[in-house]
Amino acid sequence: MMTAEEELAEKRILLERANAEREAIFKRYDRGRKNIDIDAWDDPAFEIYTQADRYGFLHPEKEQSFRDDLEAARRKQIEVERTKKWLKMMKNWSSAETKERLQRRVMKGIPDRLRAAIWKLFLNLDQALKENVGVYEKMLKFARQYSPDIRQIDFDVNRQFRNHINYRERYSVKQQSLFRVLAAYSMYNMEVGYCQGMSTVAGVLLMYFDEEDTFWALNALLSNERYAMHGLYVEGFPKLMRFLQHHDKILTKCMPKVKKHLDKHGVDSVLYSLKWFFVIFIERIPFSLCLRVWDIYMLYGERVLTAMAYTILKIHKVKLLRMKDMDQITEFLQTILYKNFGYDDDTVIKTLQLAMFELKKLNLDKLPAAPASEFPKVAFGQFIEPSLEAKIGHRNEKFTERETELKETVLYRSESKNDGDDEDVDENGRPVGQNGHHRNENGGHDDDEDDRTERDCDDITEEDDAYSNLNTEYDDGSITKHSLTGTSVTSTNDVSITSYERTCDIFRLQPNSGGSSAAILGSGAKLDDSVSIISLQTLDGVCDLHGSAEHSIVQGVSGGSAEKVAPGIIGDDDEDDDDDITEKQLSS
Amino acid sequence: MAAGDPKWQKDASDQNFDYMFKLLIIGNSSVGKTSFLFRYADDSFTSAFVSTVGIDFKVKTVFRHDKRVKLQIWDTAGQERYRTITTAYYRGAMGFILMYDITNEESFNSVQDWVTQIKTYSWDNAQVILVGNKCDMEDERVISFERGKQLADQLGVEFFETSAKENVNVKNVFERLVDIICDKMSESLDSDPTLVAGGPKGQRLTDQPQGPPNANCNC
Repeated sequence: MMTAEEELAEKRILLERANAEREAIFKRYDRGRKNIDIDAWDDPAFEIYTQADRYGFLHPEKEQSFRDDLEAARRKQIEVERTKKWLKMMKNWSSAETKERLQRRVMKGIPDRLRAAIWKLFLNLDQALKENVGVYEKMLKFARQYSPDIRQIDFDVNRQFRNHINYRERYSVKQQSLFRVLAAYSMYNMEVGYCQGMSTVAGVLLMYFDEEDTFWALNALLSNERYAMHGLYVEGFPKLMRFLQHHDKILTKCMPKVKKHLDKHGVDSVLYSLKWFFVIFIERIPFSLCLRVWDIYMLYGERVLTAMAYTILKIHKVKLLRMKDMDQITEFLQTILYKNFGYDDDTVIKTLQLAMFELKKLNLDKLPAAPASEFPKVAFGQFIEPSLEAKIGHRNEKFTERETELKETVLYRSESKNDGDDEDVDENGRPVGQNGHHRNENGGHDDDEDDRTERDCDDITEEDDAYSNLNTEYDDGSITKHSLTGTSVTSTNDVSITSYERTCDIFRLQPNSGGSSAAILGSGAKLDDSVSIISLQTLDGVCDLHGSAEHSIVQGVSGGSAEKVAPGIIGDDDEDDDDDITEKQLSS
Repeated sequence: MAAGDPKWQKDASDQNFDYMFKLLIIGNSSVGKTSFLFRYADDSFTSAFVSTVGIDFKVKTVFRHDKRVKLQIWDTAGQERYRTITTAYYRGAMGFILMYDITNEESFNSVQDWVTQIKTYSWDNAQVILVGNKCDMEDERVISFERGKQLADQLGVEFFETSAKENVNVKNVFERLVDIICDKMSESLDSDPTLVAGGPKGQRLTDQPQGPPNANCNC
């Protein structure tokens, strides 16, 4: 056994080494690409990539078809038109009109070139910057001297978005910035310090913001009560537990069959949804879709995560029910959906909107109130010297009380599955539309969720009262009733909702397997912005279809017709959003 | 027997093995756990690696002693804060690959702590192999082979140095771990047949399988 003195001496040596190591890491980031000793293999081989997408992610070369090009051109044009509208809206940012429009427009996606500006407004960054002049630099200095998280940050910066053109190279400018932001933040919010996952979130923010803005944006996501990610990353992950419990509750209530299926195969939600909540779906769903979710998240906050988690399982329900084991289910949710979600972004976002309504109606949109343990106890930016143990990177053998609690919960969750009866739940995943009543084994819930969803939708289109329930808008975290009184609602628009839901059913049967297919484009006809004027693109050209013709398009698709139906952009440049009514129905 | 029939191989994947072993790869952050698993399961190595947030797993089926053994290999986040999540998955694991990085002293110093975690949270009979990864980076080595071996001897576990990048010893580690687990199963059966968690009750791995072949030791 070592004497106390020997132990202290050894710790001193370790501390010196840790200090030297931290300084060495900082120096390497100072030098950036001028580091002479960068391992060749630290830079992912460039030759395997040939194409960068619009966000900078590199992909193996893929041949673009003529149709892909057409689609890209169409989207570009829509975005140009939308950019104009957003710019106009930004001039009048605090007006009531903007507030109302914002809620609709954010659902269509913020034009990428304005994303930084709009996110900045959502996160109120200008104010943070104004109130905290010099703080970032100060934290960075502290970090260099004291941060116990530098090694972990260095490991993770080296592994973050290596398939992105700006993060690809070791010590590239972006890697330098990411390193500094995380290092500085580890000193600003000392309770959280650095937690794996934060590099991903900050990494995305840095694609849009400069370094200091990213720092404050990250801080907003952690500390602003709308997002409150502090509770996710802090030791013991208390908010993760709350998310998981709430997610399970939603599944039990709205998709008992799926819940049972997942339980039966031992797939606990912690397995597939941890990353959904920790990094807001990054690398679990395609990046373009993820940005759309981020747009909505920035406006509405944490309820979007809950609703999106539900949406992913709901939209893939039939597929999931067909899967026969844990491996398949987990791989699907963890890997496959990232590569190919199977539905175009607009369809998913519309489904997300509907999910947000549905959860709101069931009073399940908000998480239960947070316990005190989730909130910061120490004021930010207040320097506390880390313990010797923390500095030398010593791992604690024992769990803290909070950690033990988390561990027990996770254990209980994973072990309480798999003990149900072995009744075969819908082994073959019945095609949607043919599902009759299913034997109900789940006491509290009367109906198979398919039936319920369909019934709800019928209510929406057939009953005025139910219809007005739909027009509840989310407003900065609180929900206000948005009345449609006085707005003329035509039967055509009613049809569009019904059609939407039916189209969704069709999608479930014909998931898109990568390229453009009748199913996704069909969705465009129903779900994209300009529903009232729809253009049917054929190889010969474009012909316009008006509202009343929608129905036949849907029928055409449901009848298996492979006609390519795409929404026109004509409606989008209209200043007054002639697609508003439909949007209100779907989005409010 | 269904599992012996090749036509089953594609369809009913859950029927397609005689035994299932749950294995975990643990160790400090950035020692190469995910790369090691990818090398073994997909025979690929990429420097566009990502850090594991939470817990992932991959499946690989191998043949040992004429039996199909399905390996369910769990890959874990290394940061200390995530131990609470990862240790919950230790239960029921039959084998652990405890990994450090030969170029990172801290990761080696943490081995003892990881062993404590295994002892505290896993089944008594869980088998462990100590692995020093990144042995291709000889220039940056700070932990000698001897130090690794010595520690493994002290702990009473087997030891390998590996490189996921150069594909050194990766397969060997898994094969050895599977063998040790099989030996342990047979041993436990000899002493107390009810102890066996790894196969059909009362059946030895060296016996001809009887009855339903999809014994699942994920107890």
